Amino acid sequence: MKKRSGFAIVALILSAVLVLSACGKSGGNANSPESTSGSNGSKEPVTVTLAGWGASPEEQELLNQTIQEFETKHPNVKVKYEVIADQYMDVIKTRLIGGEGPDVFYLDAFEAPGLIERNVLEPLDSYVTPEFDVADFDQPMLDAFKQGGVTYGFPKDSSTLAMFYNKKDFADAGITTPPATWEELQAAAVKLTKKEGDKTVRYGFGVAPELARQMFMIQAFGGKVADEEGNAAFASPEALKGLQLVTDMHNVDKSSGEPKEVGAGWGGEMFGQGKASIVFEGNWAIPFLESNYKDLDYGTAELPTINGKKGTMAFTVAYVMNKESKKKEAAWELISYLTGKEGMKTWTSKGFALPTRKSVATELGYDKDEKRGAIVAGASYATPWQAGSTLPTIMSNFNNQFVDTFMGNSKLEDAINKAQTTANKEIAAAK
Amino acid sequence: MSQASSWKKKLRNNATGYLFLLPTILVLGTFLFLPVFYSLYLSGHKVNLLGDVSYKWVGFNNFSRMAGDERAWIALKNTASFAIFVVPLQTACAIFLAVILNAKLKFKNFFRIVFFMPTVTSSAVLSLIFMWIYNSNGLLNRLLEFIGLHGYNWLGDPAVAMKAIMLMNIWSTAPFFMVVFLAALQDIPDALYESAMLDGAGAWRRFISITLPLLKPATFFTVVMGFIGTFQLFDQSYIFSAGSGGPNNSTLTVALLIYQYAFKNLDFGYASALAVMLAAVILLVTLIQRKLFAEEKLN
Repeated sequence: MKKRSGFAIVALILSAVLVLSACGKSGGNANSPESTSGSNGSKEPVTVTLAGWGASPEEQELLNQTIQEFETKHPNVKVKYEVIADQYMDVIKTRLIGGEGPDVFYLDAFEAPGLIERNVLEPLDSYVTPEFDVADFDQPMLDAFKQGGVTYGFPKDSSTLAMFYNKKDFADAGITTPPATWEELQAAAVKLTKKEGDKTVRYGFGVAPELARQMFMIQAFGGKVADEEGNAAFASPEALKGLQLVTDMHNVDKSSGEPKEVGAGWGGEMFGQGKASIVFEGNWAIPFLESNYKDLDYGTAELPTINGKKGTMAFTVAYVMNKESKKKEAAWELISYLTGKEGMKTWTSKGFALPTRKSVATELGYDKDEKRGAIVAGASYATPWQAGSTLPTIMSNFNNQFVDTFMGNSKLEDAINKAQTTANKEIAAAK
Repeated sequence: MSQASSWKKKLRNNATGYLFLLPTILVLGTFLFLPVFYSLYLSGHKVNLLGDVSYKWVGFNNFSRMAGDERAWIALKNTASFAIFVVPLQTACAIFLAVILNAKLKFKNFFRIVFFMPTVTSSAVLSLIFMWIYNSNGLLNRLLEFIGLHGYNWLGDPAVAMKAIMLMNIWSTAPFFMVVFLAALQDIPDALYESAMLDGAGAWRRFISITLPLLKPATFFTVVMGFIGTFQLFDQSYIFSAGSGGPNNSTLTVALLIYQYAFKNLDFGYASALAVMLAAVILLVTLIQRKLFAEEKLN
C-alpha cells in the first residue's frame, strides 16, 4: 500500500512536470505572434538572427562591417550574429529540431540536399525581385541550392581548388614551370621530396585523403560518386583508376603525404611550414598564408590535367532561410543584401572569399589577380562538392576506408569496395 | 479511532518527506527518468524530428538492424577491447600508486596532489594536450626516436590510433582510483603487518597476502566503475578523430556511434536502440563481475 502511494506521487509529479513543460512551450508560442506583428505595424526594429561558423578575426571583422552597412541602410532590421564554433551542422540541425533555429544561416552545398529534403528551408523564389538579378549568379553555384526548380538559398561565395607551389623548392629542384599534367606532377613530386635519414621531412605533394578533395579524381576517368537513387557508386573500375593515381604517389613513389604525417593540421599549414612543395587548396589558404607565413614565396596554377582533361573541385556556401522563421520579410531583406551586388562586393572586397556574382567578380578583377586567377579559372570546369542527400553517409564510409588504403594497410580495390558496400547497407537501413 | 489518527500521521509524515524530496524528484525526473523512458520509447520507433515530425512504430526492427550494421559491431569490438585493455592496467597502476603514496615518504602530500591532477583536469583539455604530444613531430615521437625507436603517426594510422587513446585514458583515470585505494589502505590495521613481519613475511608476501585481499572491496568498486567508464568512452575518441571515429573506424566507440546516428544522421530511433543495447551490455558485464567477486568471497 505504502509503496503504491509512493509510486502514485512520483507519477503525479512526473505528469505535473510534463504538463508544466507543455505549458511552457505553448506559452512561448503564444508570445511569438506579438513579436511578429511588430515587424509589420510599428517602427520597432525587428531582430533577425544570423548563424555561421567561425573564421579568422579579419574575416569576422569584414562580415561585421557588411552587416553594419546593412543595418544603416535598413534601420528597421537589427542583425544578431551568432558564431557556432564547432560541429556546425550538428548544432544547426539540433536547433532546428528544438524550434530554436536561427532565421538565416550558412549552408554548405554538400549538406543542402539533405536539409531541402527534410523540408526545413524556406523556398526563396517568391521573394526575388527583378533588381536582385538572379541571372547574375554563376549557374553551377546557384544550382547547388536548387531542387525541382525551386531555389532554397543564394551562394554567398565560393572557391575551387588550385595548385599552390613553393617557388623556392621548385627553383632548388630545377623545375621551371608548374606541372601541367598528372605525369609531370608525379615526376616533380619525386624530385621535390626531401629525406633526412629514412624520415621524410618534406613531401613533394601534400594531399588530403578524403572524398571532398578526391571526388574529381573519381570523375577523371568517368567514374561517379553516387547513382541516381542516391546509392554509393564509387567502386567502379573507372573511379578506381583515378584514385589509384593518388594512392600510388603515397605508397609507390613515396612522394606524397597527408598533413598528419608531418604533424600539420591541414594542407595550407603543411605548405606554409615547408613540409610540402605542392598542395591543392582553395582561396581560404591565401589569407591564411599571408597572415601566418609572410615570407613564403609561392605561386598558384590550375590543377594538372588528368587523362587529358581539366578538373578540380568547387566549394560553395549559401545563405538560407529557416522555414519556421517568424521574421521572414526581414530575413529576406538580410539575405538579399548579403548576396546582392552591394553586400557581396563588401564581403568579397578583401579576397577572403570569392564572389559568386559575375558582375562583382568582373568589378573586383579577381580573374586577373596573380594568386586568385587560377582559382577563378577553375570555376568553369569544376565539380561542385555535392551528390544528393546521402552524401554524408557515403563520405564517412569512403573516408574511413580510403585513409586505410592510403596508409598502405589495404588494397585500394578491396578497401573501396568495402566502403561502397557498407555505405549502401547503411543507406538502405536508414530508408 | 487511534488507528485512523496514526494513519493520518503517517500520511502527513510521508507528505512532508516527499515534499523534502520534491526538488530531487523533479530534477531527476526531468533529466534522468524522462529521458530514459523517452529513449526506450524512441528505440521502438522510426523517428523523424527535423522537418515533418513523425513517429512510426517499428517493433524490434531497430534492434535487428544492429546485426547487419558492420559499424555497430566494430564499435562494440573497439569498446570491449578498450575496456579489457584499460581496466586491468588502470587498476594495477592505481594500486601501485596508492601503495607508494601510503608508504612513509617525504613530500607525500605534494606527490598526492601531483598524481591527482590529471583527474581534476577536464578530459577535453587533456585530449587537446595529448594531441600535441601524439603529433608526428610531438613529444612522444621525439622521445621514442631519442631512445632509438621509430615514431608513429599516432593520430592518423588506424593501427595505433586507439592505443594512443588507451594510454591517455589509463594515465588520466588511474589517479582517481588511486584515491579509492589510498583510503582503503589506511583502513588496514598496522597490527596485521606487524604480526606478519614477526612471522618472517617479506614485503612482497605482505603485499600479496594482506594488502591485496583486504583491498578486495575497493578493487571490486574500481573494476566495476572502470568498466562502466570505459564502455561509455566518448569525449576522447570524439576529439581525437574530430567526431568521425576514424581513421578506418579504429577509434569508433559505441557512444560515439550513438552520437553519430542521432546528430549526424538524425536517426534517433536507431540511436536510442543502440543506447539501450549499450546499457544492457554494461548491466551484463557488471552482473558477471558481481558474480565473480561474490564467489571468491565465499571461499
